[in-house]
Amino acid sequence: MNPVYIAGAGMTRFGRSEWSLIRLAGEASLAALRHAQLGEIPVDGVVVANMGAARVNKQTALGSALVDQLALYPAMAEAVENGPASGASAFKVGCQAIASGMADVVLVTGVERMRVVNGLEGTDFVASLSQPEAEYIYGVTLPSLAGMFTRLLMDKYGIERKHLAMVAIKNHFNATKNPYAHIQQTVTMEGILTAPEAIVNNPPIAEPLHMFDCCPVSDGAASVVLVSESIAKKLRAPKVRVAGLGQATDTHAVQEREDPTDLKAVRLASEKAFDMAGLKPADVDVAELHDAFTILEIAESEAAGFFPRGEGHKALERGETALDGKLPINPSGGLKAKGHPVGATGVAHLVELTWQLRGEAEDRQIPAASVGYACNFGGFGNNVVATVLKREAE
Amino acid sequence: MSAPVHAAVTAGKCTSCGTVNYPKRLVCKKCKGESFETVAVGGVGKVLTYTDVYALAIDYETRYLRLAIVELEDGLRVTGQLLDENPKLGKRVKTTIGIVREPGDKPILGLQFVPA
Repeated sequence: MNPVYIAGAGMTRFGRSEWSLIRLAGEASLAALRHAQLGEIPVDGVVVANMGAARVNKQTALGSALVDQLALYPAMAEAVENGPASGASAFKVGCQAIASGMADVVLVTGVERMRVVNGLEGTDFVASLSQPEAEYIYGVTLPSLAGMFTRLLMDKYGIERKHLAMVAIKNHFNATKNPYAHIQQTVTMEGILTAPEAIVNNPPIAEPLHMFDCCPVSDGAASVVLVSESIAKKLRAPKVRVAGLGQATDTHAVQEREDPTDLKAVRLASEKAFDMAGLKPADVDVAELHDAFTILEIAESEAAGFFPRGEGHKALERGETALDGKLPINPSGGLKAKGHPVGATGVAHLVELTWQLRGEAEDRQIPAASVGYACNFGGFGNNVVATVLKREAE
Repeated sequence: MSAPVHAAVTAGKCTSCGTVNYPKRLVCKKCKGESFETVAVGGVGKVLTYTDVYALAIDYETRYLRLAIVELEDGLRVTGQLLDENPKLGKRVKTTIGIVREPGDKPILGLQFVPA
């Protein structure tokens, strides 16, 4: 397999956007292309990640639409839909094109514009990824699956609501250092949990999860430019290599998992990614996890191999996952505060890691970061893509 | 205690290894067999986990839904709506059948749980 490098990364600010779906995708793509400084080198392929445009924006064939916006003809192009893991799946497809020798330069852009519909419609569009007969018909939504998962973990490991709040407080703080983040406002333990008015500030969404345990609904796009080794050598940019990629699936319905507290697909995808990279979880300097719900940051940090099972919330409490901790998790603000435009999220993870590994993450830069890990969590854990990036010496 | 079962909700019992596949699938998750007998799903069990969800999908006009995953006595786990004022982890419940969703004027029947 030929090596794959990320030559450029860019994104739009996440939040509510007046831009059209394709304008969002196009602006993120242009930012990534400018970052890559390709000069006269042509783009061979375009892969767009998106989950809901067919339903929410009444638009399909997004690969062709983005090629047209950017006048990249006759580049090959397609869109990838893999639920909330669409972003990293599209990234994987782009990597495969380069690893196989079929392409030298591939633009991977994730985009979602979901604030055009009301809350019920938006929640229902995401809930449509659940098992139709055994979950969806009962009113199962993603928050409900997360709520039931949270209750199991709290009971098993002694996780308390204060630990969930610590994830939110950390990620909101990190987001204030990220100009691309949807929400740039710090929150406190008093304001969301311990003060008498906390129940008003932070109402229940899916008990025991409350509003500040859940990511916002965001519009936005994120983009990376993948290149082959021969192209990477021609560019002056720092070399960020796609060191490892792993993907794993699990049962569609959560109820069928042998151990419903085990994020098995995260574990297997991460093991594959680390194996391919020839690296261990302990080698990672910075991680971007899929904290659509606060509990997921804790559970994924264990399943990825950073902490033993049942210990993630203790590492969090000790400050190990803070910006200045041993393993900073979600320096970008995470889905919790940076936002979660579903199809863009997996690509945005890799944008943040690329900036971190190039030393371009400004106020939230992790000093001398050279290995990054990302977990893009699809379904409710039934399709997970893990990625390991490594900064190579010049 | 006789276990209530409901023909409205069925699973596929693999004729090769006996594994009950719920939801149904074309290939048995245990032995890869492709032949199934249809069996009713239901009975007595215990609450494995539950939630009160306020972030609802379309088709619901209520303020929140109480959902649960129940582990039935035969080991099968099922998701459904919990009709219990005092839910608790591990509490004994039994399945019943009811309208679980009403898209337009087409009610869908499914599993609900009541204290056993």
